[in-house]
Amino acid sequence: MANMLNIGVSGLNAAQVALSTVGNNLANLNTDGYSRETVIQSEQIGQPNGRYTIGGGVNVESVQRAYSSYLTTAVWQQNSSLQRADTYNNLNTALNGVLTGSGNLQGSLDDFYAAFSTLANSAGNSSSRTALLGSAGSTAALFNTLGQQLNAQQTQVNSQISNTVNSINDAASKIASLNAQIRQTAPGQVPNAILDQRDSLVKSLSGYVGISTVAEDDGSISIYTSSGQSLVAGNKSFAMSAGNNAYDPGQTDVFDSAGNDTTTKLSGGSLGALLDYRNNVLNPAQNQLGQAAVALSSSINAQQAKGLDLSGNLGSPIFNAPTPTVLASSRNTGTTTVSASISDVSKLTASDYTLSYDGTAWNLRTSSGQSVPTTTNPDGSFSADGLTFNVGAGTAQAGDSFVIQPTRDAATSLKVVQTDPGKIAAAAALTATPASSNNGGAKLSSINVTDSGNAALLSNAKVTFTSASAYQVTDGSGNVLASGTYTAGQPITANGWSLTLTGTPAANDSFNIAANSNGLNDNSNALAMAALADGGVLNGGKTSVLDSYANLTTFIGTAGSQAASNLSTQTSLYNQAMSAQQSVSGVNMDEEAASMVKYQQAYQASAQIITTAQTIFASLLQAVQG
Amino acid sequence: MRISTSWQYQQSVTTMLNQQSSLATTQNQVTTGKRINVASDDPVGAAQVLSLNHILDSNAQYTTNINAANTRLTTEGGALDSVTSLLDRARTLALGGVNGTLSPTDRQNMATELSQIRDQLVQLANTTDNYGSAIFAGTSTTTVPFAKAADGSVTYNGNDGQLTTAVGSSLQIAIGDAGDGIFMNLPAGNGSFVASAGSGNTGTMIVGDSSVTDTNTWNAAKLSTGGAINITFGNGGTWTATDASGNAILDSSGNPVTGSYSDGGNVSFDGFSIGLSGTPSAGDTISVQTNQSQDIFSAFNNVISALGGGDSDTQLANTINRQLETIDQTQNAVTNTQVKIGNRLNTLDQQSTAYADLNVTYTSALQSVQDVDPYTAISNLSLQSSALQASQQVFAQMKTMTLFNYLK
Repeated sequence: MANMLNIGVSGLNAAQVALSTVGNNLANLNTDGYSRETVIQSEQIGQPNGRYTIGGGVNVESVQRAYSSYLTTAVWQQNSSLQRADTYNNLNTALNGVLTGSGNLQGSLDDFYAAFSTLANSAGNSSSRTALLGSAGSTAALFNTLGQQLNAQQTQVNSQISNTVNSINDAASKIASLNAQIRQTAPGQVPNAILDQRDSLVKSLSGYVGISTVAEDDGSISIYTSSGQSLVAGNKSFAMSAGNNAYDPGQTDVFDSAGNDTTTKLSGGSLGALLDYRNNVLNPAQNQLGQAAVALSSSINAQQAKGLDLSGNLGSPIFNAPTPTVLASSRNTGTTTVSASISDVSKLTASDYTLSYDGTAWNLRTSSGQSVPTTTNPDGSFSADGLTFNVGAGTAQAGDSFVIQPTRDAATSLKVVQTDPGKIAAAAALTATPASSNNGGAKLSSINVTDSGNAALLSNAKVTFTSASAYQVTDGSGNVLASGTYTAGQPITANGWSLTLTGTPAANDSFNIAANSNGLNDNSNALAMAALADGGVLNGGKTSVLDSYANLTTFIGTAGSQAASNLSTQTSLYNQAMSAQQSVSGVNMDEEAASMVKYQQAYQASAQIITTAQTIFASLLQAVQG
Repeated sequence: MRISTSWQYQQSVTTMLNQQSSLATTQNQVTTGKRINVASDDPVGAAQVLSLNHILDSNAQYTTNINAANTRLTTEGGALDSVTSLLDRARTLALGGVNGTLSPTDRQNMATELSQIRDQLVQLANTTDNYGSAIFAGTSTTTVPFAKAADGSVTYNGNDGQLTTAVGSSLQIAIGDAGDGIFMNLPAGNGSFVASAGSGNTGTMIVGDSSVTDTNTWNAAKLSTGGAINITFGNGGTWTATDASGNAILDSSGNPVTGSYSDGGNVSFDGFSIGLSGTPSAGDTISVQTNQSQDIFSAFNNVISALGGGDSDTQLANTINRQLETIDQTQNAVTNTQVKIGNRLNTLDQQSTAYADLNVTYTSALQSVQDVDPYTAISNLSLQSSALQASQQVFAQMKTMTLFNYLK
């Protein structure tokens, strides 16, 4: 009888525990990271009683969480990829919006080039000159706006890196303290809720940065970043930190707990996305935009220098010439400085460079690590990729290095330096006039400025043919500047100009070269500047300013569309991993409803057993009393 | 497979969110009419949009340039038309001076009218375009390229440059002509040489039209004579010829060229011919000179001063004949320039039509890259909204599908 009561009570207990577990499952239906729990029951071994043994009821062995470490780890990995793709896509979407929202640079550039045509159409009209400078100003302003928007993104990326590093440290320290609690749990007991909490934190952490995990025997979990640095070991966590790049204080880098810069090694999660985006999208975009600004400034200024302004002087620059940024490493031990200048825009790339001293020589590498051969100039400076580097006074120590950003700040620093509309050099610099006594058939084809820096460019000169096939160039005092064999259509050069004639001259025919000071209403240089709209400047003279901007648009657009398609791929991969994990650990309401009914009935049945035991006991008593 | 209830809800919410997001994209496409709103919508297409817009912008500028060139060239052509009629009037006037005897009053009136025509010519030669820059100044900044001095002589302050405008990426067209080629540096006489009566002639011989009859012979003679030939008349119209150095000119057989002239005849040798009228006295000369140039204003001034002086009819006729030649040379230069202007205007017309056609082509290319196909977009829109509605209905169904509903 007592046995029967005991069995009934154990059944009641077991059903109660099971119903509570069902209740807990239902209560945590929407708890993130919660693992469904089930009650493990076993039959209580009864007392052997002669020929038979009656069972002793039911034991509740444990309440187990439904958990698959394999599936959970897969979710962590997919979460890293998803958060990376999500952050990367958000950043690229913002960048594409910036590009579209910062005004129409193509339209502005076309307006600017068109202003030269308008000036050419109305050479004598001063309002068209004023309008041209206005147009130059709005183009420069548009470059500035775009550049500033990209700078703002840099700032945003920097602060997001710092915030993410804080979140990583926070999660790592919480995981370490949960590790400590798990270690302290009495042997044989499983702290389901703490484990779930820890798994949830690891999942959050995996969203910040790519991680790998190792489950230790004592129940704790060790976590390493994608670069191999330990984040959590047992009850200890190792804090990362965000700090300034050794070269560029404007870029936030990530350092491990030992203070090493791990920026280039980290991947995955939103931190990986931020670093990847900065390195592969934002910096190149800024450089390409700057490259277009340098191309605009240098091509217009160079053509401007080849013409005469309204006062008869060679044209002075319209735009400032953006200069490369040189950043010394904070770890440099030497005292020397390096300066850089743009010497050939047609060879200029959108790359950044690192110039380092190995103790005997300076080596140049691109930011992606490729070695760049340099040529040494007679003055001791050296050149590569359209840049010229000057090592200043002081001594360099082995290991000293400098980062050169040729075009990073060019777009923001572009400005119009010309304020006098009269100084737009619309007229050709030189005229060539055939002598009136010429008898031959040589006709002037063109006279062009090849070197606007030549001091004698505007000096009078005379090309005289000593025979039909030989010429000599003399200056105003009759000194011979050059002589050679004449071939029709081949240029004759001296004093920084190049004269092309067609036809055959007679002996003693001559052409006089002089400054075009009597032809200042000329518009041929303005037309040459208008033609720069399609003129190749960059990439060996193949890419115009507009092409360069179109390339930038494609670059940013491609980054954006790839980020979007990558996000959708990663989302479905994450969803697959998540539904696999949820199919094991998630709570199904119907299942719980069924369990509830099942355990409710089991409870009722056990209660009935107790009633029955009571009834038969009462019957016995009655019989005894009876 | 077990389904986690909360994941199931979350998934159906995610599905609805995705559907709403693509619906919003399509709605944006329908409202803006554009397929590419940011570069990432179609990176290659976005670059195409840029380059097509650049082409359209360039073409618009070329069209503006064409219109500006049209205005300037039409102004130039109009000025030259007026020059032609003025020169015609001057020619008629001057011819009156050659034929017949003029009274001093006639001479005075003619001189007055000619000086008025000259002043009008100066004004026409100083014609400016709508921006105030002188059309015939070449590329000089001067607004008065033809400056008239008090004595009526005119100097040219412009240059021989030429303004051009761009009407295509590699096509430039001249939008002016330097005035010195039209009014100033004109070859004197018939264009090859000028034959003029000696100033000390005493006969009634008038030098009329001259011409080159055999170019090769003339070119050879031009070199051998040093560019100057002097013809001297003896008695009875006989003549001999000497070169620049005073040596007698020889014919192909090595004998000195000689001939005899009678009234209305001509003197011709070495590939040229000079028409004459009247009778020369012995010792009268004609000089033939090459490489001479004259300007139209001097021609007028020469006639005006000859009319005002005490010249004989013969001297006056000789003077006017020479100046008539200059007027004809000017007419030639003006006509040539007008032909050039006509050609340029033709080119401008053709280019303008070409750009109008190209605009249609490029605009439709731009539309096909940039614009969304409205039919596709609207059909997508209704497809996506019905898909969203379906998802919403499924969600509503899902709500009731739980075992708890039946446990009562």
